[in-house]
Amino acid sequence: MSAPTGDDGSAMPVTIRLDSQQFQVAAANPTGMEKTVALTFLLGLAGFAGFGAAFWVNASNVWLGMTLGVGFLGLGVGMVAWGKYLMPRGPFSESRHSMVPEPADRERIIGDFSSRGKVVIERRTFLLKILGAAGAVFGVVAMFPLIRSLGPVPTDFSIATTWRPDSLLVNIDGSPVHSDSLEFGGMLTVFPEGDVGGPLSQTMLIRQQPPAGETHIVTGPGRETWGPLGYLAFSKVCTHAGCPIGLYQQVTHQLLCPCHQSLFDVGPGQAAQPVFGPAPRPLPQLPLYVDAHGFLRAQAPYDEPVGPGYWYRGND
Amino acid sequence: MRLLRRFLLPFAVLVVAATLGTFVLGREHVAASSPAMQNPGMKLADSSSLTAQGEIEAGRILFTENCSACHGVEAQGSAPGAVLTGPSLHGVGGATVNLWLTEGWMPLRTSETQPAAKPVVLTPAQINDIVAYVVSLAPGGVPVPSSVPLRGASPAEGFFMFSLNCAPCHTITGAGDALASGVHAPGLHASTSLQVLEAIRTGPQNMPRFGPGTISNQQALDVVDYVTKYIQHPTNIGGIGLGEVGPVAEGFVGLFVGVGVCLVAAYWVGDRTAREEDDHGHDEDDAQGEGGDGHGQNVLTAATETAVADV
Repeated sequence: MSAPTGDDGSAMPVTIRLDSQQFQVAAANPTGMEKTVALTFLLGLAGFAGFGAAFWVNASNVWLGMTLGVGFLGLGVGMVAWGKYLMPRGPFSESRHSMVPEPADRERIIGDFSSRGKVVIERRTFLLKILGAAGAVFGVVAMFPLIRSLGPVPTDFSIATTWRPDSLLVNIDGSPVHSDSLEFGGMLTVFPEGDVGGPLSQTMLIRQQPPAGETHIVTGPGRETWGPLGYLAFSKVCTHAGCPIGLYQQVTHQLLCPCHQSLFDVGPGQAAQPVFGPAPRPLPQLPLYVDAHGFLRAQAPYDEPVGPGYWYRGND
Repeated sequence: MRLLRRFLLPFAVLVVAATLGTFVLGREHVAASSPAMQNPGMKLADSSSLTAQGEIEAGRILFTENCSACHGVEAQGSAPGAVLTGPSLHGVGGATVNLWLTEGWMPLRTSETQPAAKPVVLTPAQINDIVAYVVSLAPGGVPVPSSVPLRGASPAEGFFMFSLNCAPCHTITGAGDALASGVHAPGLHASTSLQVLEAIRTGPQNMPRFGPGTISNQQALDVVDYVTKYIQHPTNIGGIGLGEVGPVAEGFVGLFVGVGVCLVAAYWVGDRTAREEDDHGHDEDDAQGEGGDGHGQNVLTAATETAVADV
């Protein structure tokens, strides 16, 4: 069955009575629901009052948040329940005329579109050219601050740590590292003297027991002198994404990066070879020696870039 | 469908409450089973419950009963090829023995990569005796600290050293974490000040050994002070620490509890109240059923249909 229509095709207004469904409230028990809503409003009131009290006595954030939350919750639930259950159910329809225009209007609109207006708009090409020139200059000039604000041309900064030949190894508090500072199985974060806290130059110093009868730990060919008295120094910057590698497991001889769990083997003869995780290349090793006073120094800077990238190096 | 809708809200509330409950109650349970809380003789963060001089002879008897099967009758280590293996304890130092016994790592229950912390079955006096016996066998190693003077310690300096040296493995909240090769860094919430100091100095198993050349004595006490104060008594301003494991737990609660509650609330707010179905068999689904582009008008048409039917 369809809605009744008038002569012009539009829907006729429909008469509804006061006892029709739309005017009834949705709640089956309106007085009970009203009591419930009143209770939630009272709960909200109590919540807000509680917030005031909690604020007055400088209570903890938990109390402040809970009371405020309960206050808003009470008010919100009450208002929504009021709207859902205690208001006339609706819906109330309002019919409107047909959207199709009158035939006479239709003809007129079509005529206007076809003739595309009787008024001619003159193209002012001269003005357009000047405007174009100004816009072009603006486009070029707008690039200037953008290009300059991109900063200096990137150099190979990760290659140049602040380690130099004969750099003294220092602790985070600036004190030099002596050859008996670390126990066997110990670890220390060290920096070159003069750059304490330097993020690129941070180095993980560990000490292991050299093989029986030897004074040095050799991690690979050409590195026979790099590990005096069991000291090994590796770059603390992970070759995956640059997190500082602060985890050293002394029995399993592993350096673990906390970010993505790249695992580097620093066991006998191993030069921080990645054995697990996303790191693509071993950690660069800093060659060490013990100077005349017994302090640890670097023979030379790292022989390869530190940190992420350069994945084609160091892997054979 | 009506049944599901009727019970959706209470069910959702139940799920939320259960989730919150596991976080709040589960954490308490874990903490209660730690060795320091099980053993009545040990007090948390107490610097005065230190080891007294033990009896060497009593220690020898206890060692023979509990330890010699793996470590040898004179703690010389197990014989090569033995079924039960244990390293030599000569020169390990009293602090190592005291730490491993008070943490419940020893006696070993089963062969495992990293000994688990078990309830301590030895009394503090018995532990002192065993320590005294092992120390008497050979010199060397770190002795049991005679005191842990925390007066004047700087928790700020302790926090600095902790975040540099300890937090990578034990996490910044001291909750502990899994590491590589079956190793894990235990949580720090149940350790006494003596245990923390001994662990720093002896470097148990895979933990690095931080001697005085790396962390000075005062710095070690600062770390102990920070751990026993701020790690073990977190402020948890928000109310629930969620195990202090970080953003994963917080994200879980934020999404499942927070956004979940918002979803349920939004559903309830927007849900059109059900009409009486017995009158003409129309549910409100029928009114919304004709989607399409002119749904406004269709709803009106359908509404007028039913209104007309009523009249």
